[in-house]
Amino acid sequence: MRFQTAWLGFLLTAMSLSVQAQPWEFGEAVAVTKTGGKGIFHHLESAGRHNIAVSAETVAVAWEDNRDGTPRIYLARKDRKAPNFSAEVKISGSGEAYEPSLVALSNNRFALAWEEDARIHARLVSPAGPGPIVILGETDAAQPSLASQGEHLLLVYSRRDGRYGRIVIERLKIDGLTLHPDQGCAVDAEPAQDEQLYPSIVSLADRTIVAWEDRRPGHTIIMAAQNKNEKFCSFSSPQRISEGRQGRRSQSVTYGKGNGVSRVALAGYGKGQVLAVWADKRNFREGYDIYSARYEPGNTQLFGLNTPVQDSFGSVAQQWHATLAGNPSGRLVVGWDDDRDGDANIMLSWLEGDGWSDDIAVPGAAGTGEQNHPTICLDREGNLYLAWIERTTVDGPTRLRYLFGRAIKD
Amino acid sequence: MRTIILLVSTLLTMPVLAEPPQGYPFQQFDKALQQAQTENKPLFVYFGRYGCGYCEKTNKEAFSNKQIREAYTRHYVLAYVDAESGKRIRLPSGERITEREVGTRYDAFVTPVFTFLTPDGKPLLRLVGVQRVEDLRDADNKMQRLIAKSGKP
Repeated sequence: MRFQTAWLGFLLTAMSLSVQAQPWEFGEAVAVTKTGGKGIFHHLESAGRHNIAVSAETVAVAWEDNRDGTPRIYLARKDRKAPNFSAEVKISGSGEAYEPSLVALSNNRFALAWEEDARIHARLVSPAGPGPIVILGETDAAQPSLASQGEHLLLVYSRRDGRYGRIVIERLKIDGLTLHPDQGCAVDAEPAQDEQLYPSIVSLADRTIVAWEDRRPGHTIIMAAQNKNEKFCSFSSPQRISEGRQGRRSQSVTYGKGNGVSRVALAGYGKGQVLAVWADKRNFREGYDIYSARYEPGNTQLFGLNTPVQDSFGSVAQQWHATLAGNPSGRLVVGWDDDRDGDANIMLSWLEGDGWSDDIAVPGAAGTGEQNHPTICLDREGNLYLAWIERTTVDGPTRLRYLFGRAIKD
Repeated sequence: MRTIILLVSTLLTMPVLAEPPQGYPFQQFDKALQQAQTENKPLFVYFGRYGCGYCEKTNKEAFSNKQIREAYTRHYVLAYVDAESGKRIRLPSGERITEREVGTRYDAFVTPVFTFLTPDGKPLLRLVGVQRVEDLRDADNKMQRLIAKSGKP
């Protein structure tokens, strides 16, 4: 009994120290939208998982829901200091719309891109309201992801090219609230050998890095390429950044091509640093884990060795929906959902020195019911902004939730 | 002519990559669920993925069995889900969901996973990983006993 009490005390102390070591103090979760109820389903989905952004004093969340019977894109905003979000604005047009990607511009402005009736659409939104919609291309396309670069918007997506989707990049000039397509090309100059899907993009001072899912070896891998600003449409040859199952016996000598990976996301942090994360099934008995690779511009390989993000407790559970955010001060955080505690909870791990912190379940985004599909961003001060989907039962109606994590000064 | 023969032979010898086995009426999950509800019949859901070795092995070494094909085609509505695909489907509840999220919901953390469901989508029995003919036969027998005992699929 005495031993048990001592052990419990030790655990509580350890947990307390763990809580104190967190870099954020989390507030109360609030609703992003009042619209919900039976038959209404919100989706926080986008290539790269960029559905939340902060510009100056404004936080914005973009999502899709079916409140009027058709999937449409909505944007809700709030002042950073205000307790609640204002009424949302419908962003998409009259068609079926999916998978909005959101990026912050200067002065409380945002840019969005989404798929509508199998075409890529984009528009800007300012405090005064949304600008005109621009439609890109006349070929089937999906899975847009955005980055900003000065007075330009950079957009990557998967465009149907014959049998396969092919990753395409477009540069659009920002002119007030209007977007003008400027230049566009395939990221991989060679014709697609198989599907290229779900791209993510990061814009650095002098270059752009794109990563995507690629099925050319007969299973899904993550590939990446980069360009220089002065040669926008001249990308390096794509390189594989997700490693195979090293040091393990092949699962089948006769059958199959390799392990699965899915949904890469990129983020910049510090001075020109970039990290890629994705869900990876190389340790296939435990399902997907979140793996990462750092951009290494000085090396022959664009990205370095792969390292798992979740801690050893997480390695026996399944991780889904990896999202990440960085800021210029060098703070970098990865989020995902996993069910190690029985329910799907939102988890975070952040870069500590050269490694990853222990995982934490986010207070207010964990517990009974389902909390999943996270999307996160950081501001310059390191404050964390999180949105996610919550539901009481697996197939019940969804709620869209938001939570703020105030950065704790060192 | 030689080119055409070469092309045809290449297509015929291409490995089957995460596709349901040939000769089975596998359908998209939402359509299968709808049919299962209409016919009040249990579902057999195959969760695979592109390039899945154990799926290919199970296809070639177990699903190729004639008795298995006859039993599974007769007893179940068959659904195939690519657990990494972003393909959108709409469930009878009205919920729009991707095949990947169907995999998440039914805990398809490895591939293949084979799940027997009630007509309204409740899991009854699950087989994880590569399956032999006898595994599929045993699972079918178990399911039939379960149905006979409960009096409902």
